[in-house]
Amino acid sequence: MTDHALRLLLDFDACAQRDKGQAAAFLHRRDRKFALTCEQQGITPGPERWMAQMNHLSGPGAGTSSAEKTLRFWHRINSGFVAAGTVFGVLTMLGLLFYDGGQRINVTVIVAFVGFQLLLALLTTVQSLVGWQPWRGLLRRVGSNGGPDISGRLQPVLMARAAQVGGLCFAITGLITLLVMVVLQDLAFGWSTTLDTDASSYHRLVTAIASPWAWLWPAAAPDFVLVEATRFFRASAGQNGMNPARWGQWWPFVAMLWTTWALLPRLVLSLLAGVLIRRKAAHLLAGHPALRALMYRMETPALDTGNEHNDAADLPDTKTSLSLQPLPNARIVLRWAGAGDPELPDIISTGKNLITKAGGGMTLTDDRQTLNEIATQLAQESCLCVLLFTRSWEPPTGELDDFLTSARELWPKGTHVALVPLANRVEQAPDAHLVQQWLRFAARVGPEFVTVSLLPDYDAVSDTGRGVVE
Amino acid sequence: MNTAPTFAVVGHPNKGKSSVVATLSQNDAIAIALEPGTTRTRQSYPLSVDGKILYTLVDTPGFQRPRRVLEWLEAHSISASDHSETVRAFVTQHKDDGRFTDECELLTPLLEGAGIIYVVDGSAPYNAQHEAEMTILRWTGQPSLALINSIGPDDYSDTWQAALGQFFQVVRKFDAVRAPFEQHLSLLRAFGQLEPDWEQSLGKATEHLSAQREQRRRQAAGIIAKALKTMMSFQEKRTLSLDQIAGTSDSTLADQLRQHWYQHQRKQEQSLRVDIEHLYQHNSIRRQEAELEWHSDHDLFSEDSRKHWAVSKRYLATAGFGAGAVGGAGLDALTLGTSLGTGALVGGLIGAAGSYFYSGRFMLPALNIGLLQDGLKTATFGPVQDSQFGYVVLGRAVDHWWHISHRNHAGRELLDLAPADHHWLERLDKKHRQVIQKTLDKCRKKQPVDEGQMQKFQAAIEQCMAIYDDWRLNRT
Repeated sequence: MTDHALRLLLDFDACAQRDKGQAAAFLHRRDRKFALTCEQQGITPGPERWMAQMNHLSGPGAGTSSAEKTLRFWHRINSGFVAAGTVFGVLTMLGLLFYDGGQRINVTVIVAFVGFQLLLALLTTVQSLVGWQPWRGLLRRVGSNGGPDISGRLQPVLMARAAQVGGLCFAITGLITLLVMVVLQDLAFGWSTTLDTDASSYHRLVTAIASPWAWLWPAAAPDFVLVEATRFFRASAGQNGMNPARWGQWWPFVAMLWTTWALLPRLVLSLLAGVLIRRKAAHLLAGHPALRALMYRMETPALDTGNEHNDAADLPDTKTSLSLQPLPNARIVLRWAGAGDPELPDIISTGKNLITKAGGGMTLTDDRQTLNEIATQLAQESCLCVLLFTRSWEPPTGELDDFLTSARELWPKGTHVALVPLANRVEQAPDAHLVQQWLRFAARVGPEFVTVSLLPDYDAVSDTGRGVVE
Repeated sequence: MNTAPTFAVVGHPNKGKSSVVATLSQNDAIAIALEPGTTRTRQSYPLSVDGKILYTLVDTPGFQRPRRVLEWLEAHSISASDHSETVRAFVTQHKDDGRFTDECELLTPLLEGAGIIYVVDGSAPYNAQHEAEMTILRWTGQPSLALINSIGPDDYSDTWQAALGQFFQVVRKFDAVRAPFEQHLSLLRAFGQLEPDWEQSLGKATEHLSAQREQRRRQAAGIIAKALKTMMSFQEKRTLSLDQIAGTSDSTLADQLRQHWYQHQRKQEQSLRVDIEHLYQHNSIRRQEAELEWHSDHDLFSEDSRKHWAVSKRYLATAGFGAGAVGGAGLDALTLGTSLGTGALVGGLIGAAGSYFYSGRFMLPALNIGLLQDGLKTATFGPVQDSQFGYVVLGRAVDHWWHISHRNHAGRELLDLAPADHHWLERLDKKHRQVIQKTLDKCRKKQPVDEGQMQKFQAAIEQCMAIYDDWRLNRT
């Protein structure tokens, strides 16, 4: 159960770390879909279900290695504490019960030792609650980072559980050793202290200690007579008229003392450590920033604005080998799709034999008439050349292409068309990028038939790349 | 019937159809170029919520031979009642004719029931040539809306408006590159008004888009808060063996550490930029050039950056007073109030004095070369001890966020992050100033910042963003 909460947290954290590399839109879609599926099934989506779904989709064997690693690390630590506790429990009890026949086993030492054990157990729990980690440096040496991440923040409670479990094993093997020793050996217990105290005070202490079990097992609560009779002094030679069996009557007390004040607290605190781990894991999970983000993703509709399609690299070829040609001295002018409207400047129209229109608002029949008209005019001209004015900002379309194809068939062989893209204000030069599209168009139609020229600069301002009148 | 509407964005070549679609679908990966024929086939861009499509935009190629199409249509039609059928017949007959590929591509979605979004360039003079296109579109009988986009600097939109009004139910101006987000929503609502059945879908879509924008602002604040925390608490650390110690002087080591520290911080900042851009679905911003140009002039650590983005001494003193007073109030609590609040006052004064003192200099992060231990020596550089560093990073981050959140996806120009010429952060209220100062202080002292504090920090940054937005929109 403890491991379940812990594993959920560690798995969730590992998953959150992995998700950091994922696109936000993908995460939103994934989690929103999960939430909607849950809604359809009438269940509330939560981190546990979500994690189960993630694991399910990953398939078997796709476990979270970092969570597994952390759990294995703490499993090793726990095993180490269990082993150490077991061994030290036996050795300590053997030490406490060391009896060479000349001296009594001092119950006061055992009471003090049990008290010390109790204190240690309580301190372990307290330090886990306040998050104090005096052993942090030691853990770092054996591989735990102890940083501000999830496993680092779990360290105090996990360490407390390891210590409590180790202490529990210590207490259990200590008790077993005691019982074995009671059976195998003739143990002589007594009590002794340097302090100036009498048997009645000591009896009160013993009664107080034995109060939890005195009603259950009266023999394990030494009476005043036993207390008074078993006091010994190291300096005294022997025991006057004392029945040797009396020395052994302390063992039930010692066994219950160990059980009640060393073993039981360790047991309770070990269980508490498990509860604390669960609580801490639940608390860390609830406060995990990734959980907040997950819940947000599950609650918020996934909006896809249609930005999947990517053709940014699929741009038309904008290179052209053609360059601008000088404006030919042609006597025929054709205005395509309203170019030069409402009227061409005198400097352009002067000396022209034919100025006509096509494209744009004209009908296709008008276009055909214009083609014929120009063909007739060309037959009378010495220069087989036509100036075709266009609006530079209106890109060349299929209609102009069709018109030029017809012109090529209809007009005398050797006729040349000079495309002249005009700016919105005829006296200005069109933008360079607009001229480029006309150059590319001329290259497609055939540069032997169509070239591109610009009007001369009225202000006689030199401008590189522009055509000049021949 | 309540099916998701489709809108075909049609028009003459090179008038910004793809730009309109890119902005409305928040897709900066649509090919846009000042070149006719960039769009060669139709492409759908559906907007969906939880997988349910609310509307679809269809980008189409431009008309190539509208007069020829119209001539064909007129020759095959007897009366107005057969117009739509005649258009369908045209597409059926010419779908394999290479000359009419573009017309078939753009007319097909209309024949399938799409609404017409006809795009013209309002910066170019009106051209009667377009009337053939508009007539063909009218023949389809579909609901229609005309959009006057603006590619160049001139404005002929009034002439366009008058002409388009004769052909289309609704005429709107919409600058695909510069239109603010509210206009996107308003345009989408206008799409919905073309047909009663479409209104609900478009209404829902605009609601979701509005909510998404709000959420993105919050998420952006969270991303900035996280990056600030990381950058303010970053420490460059190096462990040297005895051999390495012998071959390196302390000053060389300090230089190396400083260089690495700077490099790391710049990388962090660039990563923050990318995160914010991706949040707003800007995946193709030309940042390489912008970054270089921007860094050479306004480097994160330059005196120039400090002049533009750092806060004034007075600001720091007031923020510092609040942060110090919080610590001092803890002392009052310990004395069960018997100190009568002097703890808060003293703490506040110390905080204010410290902030005022440090604000005068752009203090370098602390260099610390440790003692020899186990044959190894550890040297660290950072965290930065001047909270102004945090304000510089914050100012630049908020400025970048603002540019990204106001950038339309049709925009292809270089991102130009000119520094602010005003200490806008000084408009921030006292409470949020203190939260920011306290968090920055905790980070530079390498103290843990808990989730609650991070949330407050994020809220304070959100407030900074609101202030910056307000300042940007209202500045003269």
